[in-house]
Amino acid sequence: MTERLDVAVVGAGIIGSATAYYLAARGLSVAVFDREYVTAGATGRCPGGIRQQWSTEDNVRLMMKSVEIYEGLSEELGAEIDFHQGGYLIVAKTEEERRRFEDQMRMQRSLGLPVRWLEPGEIKEMVPQLDVEGIGAIGAAWNPTDGYANPFKVTYAFASAARRLGAEFHLFTPVRRVVVEGGSVSGVETDKGFFGAEFVVNSAGAWSREIAETAGVSLPNRPYRHEILATEPVRRFLEPMVISFHDNVYFRQSHAGAILGGWGDPNEPPGYNLSSSPKFLGRFSRLLISYVPGLRSVRVVRQWAGLYDVTPDAKQIVGEVPEVAGFIQANGFSGHGFMAGPITAKLVAQLISGEPLDLPIEGFSIERFRRGETGREASVVG
Amino acid sequence: MARRIWDHPILDFERGEPLKLIFEGREITAYPGESVAAALVAEGVDILGWSKLRGRPRGFFCGIGKCSSCLMVVDGIPNTRTCVTPVSPGMRVSRQRGPPPIPDVVPEFDLEREEVDLAILGGGPAGLSAAIAAADLGASVLLVDENFRPGGQLIKQTHKFFGSRENYAGVRGIEIARRLLSEVGGLGARWVLRSSAVADYPTGSGHRIVVRRPGGATLVDARAVIVGTGASENMLAFPNNDLPGVYGAGGLQTLMNVFGVLPGERALVIGAGNVGLIVAYQLLQAGARVEAVVEIMPRIGGYFVHAAKIRRMGVPILLRHTISRVLGRERVEGAEVVAVDDSWRAVEGSERTFDVDMVVLAVGLTPSVRIPAQAGADMIYVPQLGGHVPVHTPRLLTTLDGMYVAGDSSGIEEATTAMLEGRIAGAAAASDLGYAPDRAERVISEAQRQLESFRSGPFSSRVLEGKEMVWEKAREVIG
Ligand SMILES: Cc1cc2nc3c(=O)[nH]c(=O)nc-3n(C[C@H](O)[C@H](O)[C@H](O)COP(=O)(O)OP(=O)(O)OC[C@H]3O[C@@H](n4cnc5c(N)ncnc54)[C@H](O)[C@@H]3O)c2cc1C
Ligand SMILES: Cc1cc2nc3c(=O)[nH]c(=O)nc-3n(C[C@H](O)[C@H](O)[C@H](O)COP(=O)(O)OP(=O)(O)OC[C@H]3O[C@@H](n4cnc5c(N)ncnc54)[C@H](O)[C@@H]3O)c2cc1C
Ligand code: FES
Repeated sequence: MTERLDVAVVGAGIIGSATAYYLAARGLSVAVFDREYVTAGATGRCPGGIRQQWSTEDNVRLMMKSVEIYEGLSEELGAEIDFHQGGYLIVAKTEEERRRFEDQMRMQRSLGLPVRWLEPGEIKEMVPQLDVEGIGAIGAAWNPTDGYANPFKVTYAFASAARRLGAEFHLFTPVRRVVVEGGSVSGVETDKGFFGAEFVVNSAGAWSREIAETAGVSLPNRPYRHEILATEPVRRFLEPMVISFHDNVYFRQSHAGAILGGWGDPNEPPGYNLSSSPKFLGRFSRLLISYVPGLRSVRVVRQWAGLYDVTPDAKQIVGEVPEVAGFIQANGFSGHGFMAGPITAKLVAQLISGEPLDLPIEGFSIERFRRGETGREASVVG
Repeated sequence: MARRIWDHPILDFERGEPLKLIFEGREITAYPGESVAAALVAEGVDILGWSKLRGRPRGFFCGIGKCSSCLMVVDGIPNTRTCVTPVSPGMRVSRQRGPPPIPDVVPEFDLEREEVDLAILGGGPAGLSAAIAAADLGASVLLVDENFRPGGQLIKQTHKFFGSRENYAGVRGIEIARRLLSEVGGLGARWVLRSSAVADYPTGSGHRIVVRRPGGATLVDARAVIVGTGASENMLAFPNNDLPGVYGAGGLQTLMNVFGVLPGERALVIGAGNVGLIVAYQLLQAGARVEAVVEIMPRIGGYFVHAAKIRRMGVPILLRHTISRVLGRERVEGAEVVAVDDSWRAVEGSERTFDVDMVVLAVGLTPSVRIPAQAGADMIYVPQLGGHVPVHTPRLLTTLDGMYVAGDSSGIEEATTAMLEGRIAGAAAASDLGYAPDRAERVISEAQRQLESFRSGPFSSRVLEGKEMVWEKAREVIG
């Protein structure tokens, strides 16, 4: 490899793969490096939930744009991605939650999101199997245009389309160092040697902090284990994704019928632990059965864990870092990088090719932490 | 349909008072001790369900709970493995089309906890021998098996075993199982049936094992664990390989030899290793015709005596042949066999059709290693041992503290070696936990000596090659 790349992308999750696609579509030369394979990170471990009901305006706008992309993505990439808009049902259990949801829904509606409040009876009508009284739901925030897609299909569709457009994927090729010369990136050092590049995109998920460090850039991100499981398939009965911030729980039903869901342990310490715990199995199973008692005799068939790449305000970091020209961050997604993936990747491509951006990204710049700004995203689950 | 065997040259099927199952609204006769699937097949029900996506008919295949071909709704609970579920009077059974709805019954579910020195997963020859060795040295033992009949593959082996006298040569497999079981009981080791180990979480000081059983689950906290979960049967790729009437050799043995059910009249056996040859002989004993034994290799893989026995009874063994497809829509109605050339390709024009209603696959086994893989033990792919196995030392210790493996789940071999490995693993676990280490070490070296002499024969050279690879890896990882 002698020629200098326009862009070297670190990490072949949804972010790296989609970024490669949008860059290649602009005629730029791109290579993606992953120390394992496409979807080896959080992307291949997440259930693919796509939600636009967020507590901060910039996230609502971002996710609405992403959904626009998702709606036409299958056609654009020429591959099935199992995108399904069955809605997100966010259960409220306390009056405090109801007030908060009402405020948020007002903001979300002003941005054009068709979100509304459901009374317990309406929830019951929508999903008769939910034990609305049993869990003490007093209502729910409901947005019918939320949904899910299959993370493997989406990411492989992006990667294949990127390859067709000339992007290279170097799999099982760890990036050891982002090389900086005179305040600008000059390329990446990998197990396959040095690759010169004008720009380096850091989309290494929970390992982004380590990658940034090799360029002397310090990120505030921390990895947190999040566990998840899948049951055997049962006949479709659940259209929406059901979540509760109160119980820190989410679940949905896959196309094939499996229930996928997780519970976030508030006492989980940061770290790269990817093991599965009996505590999660017990806690989540109990919670799930309290929501849908009929699942009691349905078997769990798999359990696994992935990492959230969490920033201090639970919002992603997108954009160039001021200290190293050409070093672009696209990480810190704090548990919602799958849904944010397509639009974020597109914005990164626009930024690199100098086009006008579809949305402003100042709110996601790393400098917000340095300025001590707060604007915490509160609607994080799992 | 008269599929139950009442007269058998060497087996007595003592059936108790018949009882009734309700199968999709109609009454079906069953006998106590039968599995639901066996009872249905005995009564002529070949289609136990339909595949989820394409709606293809599914029938009995493995008979030991490993292939998911027999999932049915039993008393309202979907996806029940009917081949390892015993019948009971009035039980309601129905077939599934597509994913089943979530049940409207909400059964009781209780969670129990248990503490024990040593948990043994699987009660075949390996697990039973491990239990005997460890209990004899003073360890408290809990053995769990997901079947409702203990003994693993032994209980369907009606032939007399080879090997050395100290390891039951000349004794039939079913009898060996009986003896091992009574020894286990005599030593005060506990065993529970219909209990599937579904997960193992290493805790640092031991293992927390989740065991699913009727009515709930048990969390077993064990200081050490031995995995003796056996193997599952291999499939071959050919059109219609999924039709009811295509059986795994072990699955058919279970039907014939354990439950006394012969599901057809004419069979084609694929594979001329020992298992294929033995199953062909047992089919003849049960009163079926065996049209041929088909073997893709240019020579017979099994022992000469087994081959001679069936040849004497007029069964042709077709070398350099393989099955190319099964005929039929709802169940096997025939099979097509072709000759193969030196590069394993079908020879054009060599197709022959056999009018059979049973196709029996005896094409090898794959170690059942989900528990060690899930728990995080290092795995290694060794074709000579049948696939992925946990890396283990000659003492059967895996790369996880306190986890041992024995029998087919450490590499496909035989019942005799499974028993020896079980003894070694049981003694090693007890010794490592501090029980009678001196005596334990003597048990281990004696069993290792026997294992070595057993494996010195020409039939074991491949296995030994595989084991060497595993031990070499273990030396690297564990030291
Ligand atoms: C249990 C769970 C549930 C989730 N649920 C949702 C959800 O419903 N909706 C949603 O939007 N998001 C969800 N998320 C978050 C989402 O999965 C992530 O935000 C998203 O997948 C991040 O994608 P990525 O491409 O940035 O990172 P990743 O998918 O983690 O990819 C990073 C890649 O970088 C590679 N890498 C690391 N180090 C190096 C190196 N040195 N050299 C080369 N390559 C390297 C890794 O191998 C990996 O493939 C969930 C996450 C988890 C764990
Ligand atoms: C047709 C045939 C003929 C054979 N003939 C001979 C012969 O002549 N001589 C000879 O030496 N060998 C013979 N063998 C091989 C021999 O039967 C096996 O090698 C031996 O039974 C392996 O013993 P095992 O204890 O490892 O496993 P198995 O006997 O398979 O026992 C495993 C046990 O584990 C249980 N189990 C599995 N998973 C779980 C779980 N998750 N939780 C709880 N329980 C579980 C199963 O129910 C089963 O009872 C034959 C095998 C076959 C199939
Ligand atoms: S699981 Fe029952 S036949 Fe295989």
